[in-house]
Parts: sequence; C-alpha cells; structure tokens
Amino acid sequence: MNKSELLYKMSVRWVIALKEEAKVILDYYEMALINKKTLYPIYKNIEETHWLILSGIGRHNSAAATSYLYTISKASKWTSWINIGIAGSGKGDYGNIYLVDKIFNQNSYITYPATMPKSNLPKMSLLTTDIPITDYSSKELIDMEGSAFFDIASKLTSKEFICIMKIISDGPENNIKQLTKLRIIELLKLNLTKIAQVVSYYENLSENENQIKAKPDIFFKISSNWHFSVTQSSQLENLLRRLKVFCDNNEIMDLIKQCKSSSSVINSLNNKIETNKVNWSDV
Amino acid sequence: MIETIYIEKKIKNHPRTKSILKKFKKSRFIEIDKYAEIFNKRNQNFRIQKANPNLILAHKNDGFVLRAPEGFGIGSSKNFYFSHMYNCIYDCRYCFLQGMFSSANYVIFVNFEDFDASIKNVIDQNINSKITFFSGYDCDSLALENVTGFAKHILPLFQQYPEVDIEFRTKSIQREPFMSIEPMKNVIMAYSLMPDLMSSSLDNKVPSISKRIQVISDLALRGWKIGLRFDPLIHGEDWKSLYENLLEKVYNSIPLESIHSVSVGPLRFPKKMFKDILKLYPDEPLFTSPLASSKGVVSYDEKIEEEMSSFCKTLTLKYLDNSQIFRCYA
Repeated sequence: MNKSELLYKMSVRWVIALKEEAKVILDYYEMALINKKTLYPIYKNIEETHWLILSGIGRHNSAAATSYLYTISKASKWTSWINIGIAGSGKGDYGNIYLVDKIFNQNSYITYPATMPKSNLPKMSLLTTDIPITDYSSKELIDMEGSAFFDIASKLTSKEFICIMKIISDGPENNIKQLTKLRIIELLKLNLTKIAQVVSYYENLSENENQIKAKPDIFFKISSNWHFSVTQSSQLENLLRRLKVFCDNNEIMDLIKQCKSSSSVINSLNNKIETNKVNWSDV
Repeated sequence: MIETIYIEKKIKNHPRTKSILKKFKKSRFIEIDKYAEIFNKRNQNFRIQKANPNLILAHKNDGFVLRAPEGFGIGSSKNFYFSHMYNCIYDCRYCFLQGMFSSANYVIFVNFEDFDASIKNVIDQNINSKITFFSGYDCDSLALENVTGFAKHILPLFQQYPEVDIEFRTKSIQREPFMSIEPMKNVIMAYSLMPDLMSSSLDNKVPSISKRIQVISDLALRGWKIGLRFDPLIHGEDWKSLYENLLEKVYNSIPLESIHSVSVGPLRFPKKMFKDILKLYPDEPLFTSPLASSKGVVSYDEKIEEEMSSFCKTLTLKYLDNSQIFRCYA
C-alpha cells in the first residue's frame, strides 16, 4: 500500500477556538475553507483526512462545534480529535506547549484525558472556565473550551483518540492585555514541530485502528453477490476476519463460488474454520 | 516505565502507597477520588491502553474474598480467590482479562490488611472444610511482586493456618520472597505452561517457557510445592508432539515429589467476551482455530477438548498419581 492510500485511511479532526490559533495549523496541513454554507467555519485538506472547525470562544461553542464537525465530516469511531489553543497559567513556562491529562471546570466536574504515550511534552491539568480569569494563582492551565470539547469528543470516540494541547500565552508576568493576534500566531508557529510530532502519533493511531476495524474488502464483494440478513452479515464479517488470517481472497471466493444461498456461504466458511489447524511454527 | 500513576485521595498517605510511589520517581502522579473515574469507563480502548498502561493505586471497599467459579479447584471442597490487583503486565492472547475489562491500566489495592481480615473470616466460617485460596484471579499473582510485595505480606498469615492451602498462580519468574524464607507446606506455587512454540506467539511480554521451568526447578529444590497448570490447552498442527515434548521436559526437569498437582483446562471464553476479544485482535491466529459457540461458551469442539485433556493426562500418569491430576473447566 502506498503512502497516499495510507493517508486516505487516517482521519483527524481539529476543534480550535480562534482563527489566529488555527492559522499555522491550516497552513501546515494545507486545509482550505470548504465550499459550503456552514454554522461554523470549516476547513479540510484535499485528501479529506484533516478537518478543522473554528468554534469561537466558550464551552457552549466548543461543544456545539465538535458535534457539528462530527456530523459534517462524517468522522468515524477511529477518528482522532485534537483541541489546541492558548491558555493562561500560573505555573508553566510562557510560550511552552503542554499536553492536558486532567480537566476540571468550575462546578468541580473532573475528567482524565489519556495522553500520547512516550511524549517529551510536559503534562498539566486544565481548568475550563466560563468567564476569563486573571487570578492565575495555583492554576496550571486555564482556558474556556477544553472540558466541553473533551466531554463531547469522548462520546464520539475512545478517549485514547482525543488530545488537548495548550500553549501558555498569559500569566502573572505576561498580561493578557498585551496578547495580540500576531503574537498568538507566533506562539503556535514556535511550537509547530512539537505539534506535528504529536499529531503524527494520532494520525498513525487512527490509521492503525482503521486497518483493524474496517470490514475486510472481500466482505463487500460477497455481500453484493448474495443476500445476507443483519445477523448473517455480522456472522460473515466475523468469519472473514478470521479466515483472512490464513486464506487469501481468491481461496475464499473459490470456497463459496458454488454456493446457492447466503446460509450455504456461511456454512462453507464455517467448515473451513472448523477444519483449520493453526501451524504455530508459521505464526 | 509507568508514565502516569493515579492515586485515590483516600490512600495517598497510606504507607504502602508511599513505598510504591518511591519506585516510580519519573512518573507523573495525579490524585483522583475513585479508581472507577479512570478504570473501566466506557469508551476506552483496551488494546491501545495495553501498549502503555498506567497504574492506579486504590482502596478496595468490599468483595475482598470471593468463591471461585465451579470447576476451578485442585481437590479442596471449597475454593476462594482474592485479587489485590486488576489486570496484568503480561499480554496473553487467550486471557479473559482482555474481554473482562475495557481498561488495561493496572489497579493495585493497597489496603492489604482488609484482605487479611476477610481471609481470616472465611477460614473461621469454614473451620470444618478443606479450603484453598487462589491469589491473583484477576491478575498474575506474582508478576508485580517487586512493586506490591503482596505475597511477602500474605504468607505470614497462612503460616498461622497450616491446614489451609493457598495457591499463587503465575507466569512470572519471580523468586522472592520464596527463596529467602522457609518453604511452607500449604503453599502451592502454580505455573501456567504451554509448548514453547505456542507460548512465543500467544504469551506476549511473558518469560519464556524454559525460564519458567528453571524457576520451577529452583523453587522445587528449595522445598516449595509446585502446581503445573496446562491451562488453556491450545490446539494446532502437531499439538500432540508439542505437548509431549513439553510434558516430558517438565517432568524430567523438576523433582516429581515436589509436584502438588497438575491441572489441564480447555480454552474457553464466554460468548460475549469472545466477540469483544475478536474485535480487539481480529488478526490473531488463535482465533482461526476451530472454535465454536455452544450454550453461551466459545471453545474447541468437545472431541478436541477431550482428546487433548486425555492425552496430557495419560502422559502425566507415567509420572504422577491420578489423584494429583485435575480438570479445570472455569
């Protein structure tokens, strides 16, 4: 399988609050505004592997945009979801990027995102608030979207496919009032290499899961030649997954070419499994 | 390397928590209220987590000692099990844990003293019965011994009850604390074994069969009683010669008088569990075996099960007494 075929199978969705936070990402992943009227601005690359939505500020916007992007982009169960943006902090280093592994909001509801394993990026907890906060004391990271993004994204996929990254843009010694659009773009640009490394992990994760979970190609061929009930379809899919470990597609088609009905297809495939002896020296 | 350790607030100052955390100086510690906030939540992917599991230190509130399922035992009239840990550092493709939990993170319950109290209570209530306890049903009983120290903790309790048996079932090559203390007659060191060829494909991250046999031999020579667990029995090309070689090698490597019992058990999954595991590992050669579903259980055909069990039993009878051989169906 060549690189372009692989890329078509992975799938990443970005939820970002501000255009300035998204600019560097849009350029790097070559995403352009989609040619369609949408509730929120949505961008995608030509291969349609990366989609990005500009949610605007706040938890409600972030939740709605995440859900909206899921529907519009037909994201799968193995799509990786990424939220990146700037954050205030009373503890971290200005300009540095952090992975988020604990989120709480002002009503004390706490969630624990999984993070990319073996990453060199430091990790911090995130407080998502409904109003801007300038009292940074004792807070690791502060934003206005993270918890809502995570709550919705974790209904759409496994939590291992969700990533929140924050870049510290303001704090006790860096007044938020001095933060400009250009400075935000600059902060993202300075961290682009690290962002790309993290995203590469999530691209691979999505690609691998797609290969594992996608129905075997031959399933569609067989389904178009015989009529299977819903239960039989599920049986067929399971049998084909097991058979393709030791049979190629031609062998499978040879097995069933004389079958007159879907049940005889299932029986033939079942018989093949029932007589298989695993050769452990070949495994 | 454990990257993140989640610690329940309730036990953050427990001496055992502190001692465990000292062993993970580079890990990130996160306080949580209850382990269920992290463990076994919906929308988790066991296979992805298994590649880099995190650790959760928790307090167990109840269910310290449970009755072992029917068909799980080595001769006692009553069998009980307890698990100071959920999940395992090994990654065996036939293991039921991968279908039982949605999370692959390890949970260690640090309140060992509550296990002690429950075990004593069960012993007191069954004073007239022959009972056996099995350590580590939901985990490998010794694989993380150097972190938990559970075996070291629980052995003195069983010294007080020489009439009550305890089995530590493991695939690890952990020798301590057993090489450093006097052997106990009521302790069975039980090892799961299968032919090397199968093990190298199915027992991921597990010490090799030859290393396990070496440890069994060392512990036997030290005076510990040994349990041999050919469970699950795995079918395939040349299974007879593979099992014959394994059994001959084992029985010729360890002193036969040290063998407490041998059990053979078929490969079995509850139907729903098999479906979940197949979804996780659809390319696994084990699942291309002639496995069929009957009465809610996925297993080899009854004829295959019977043939394999009888074959192993017949070979074992050349070395051991029939009373030492058990069939496990759980």
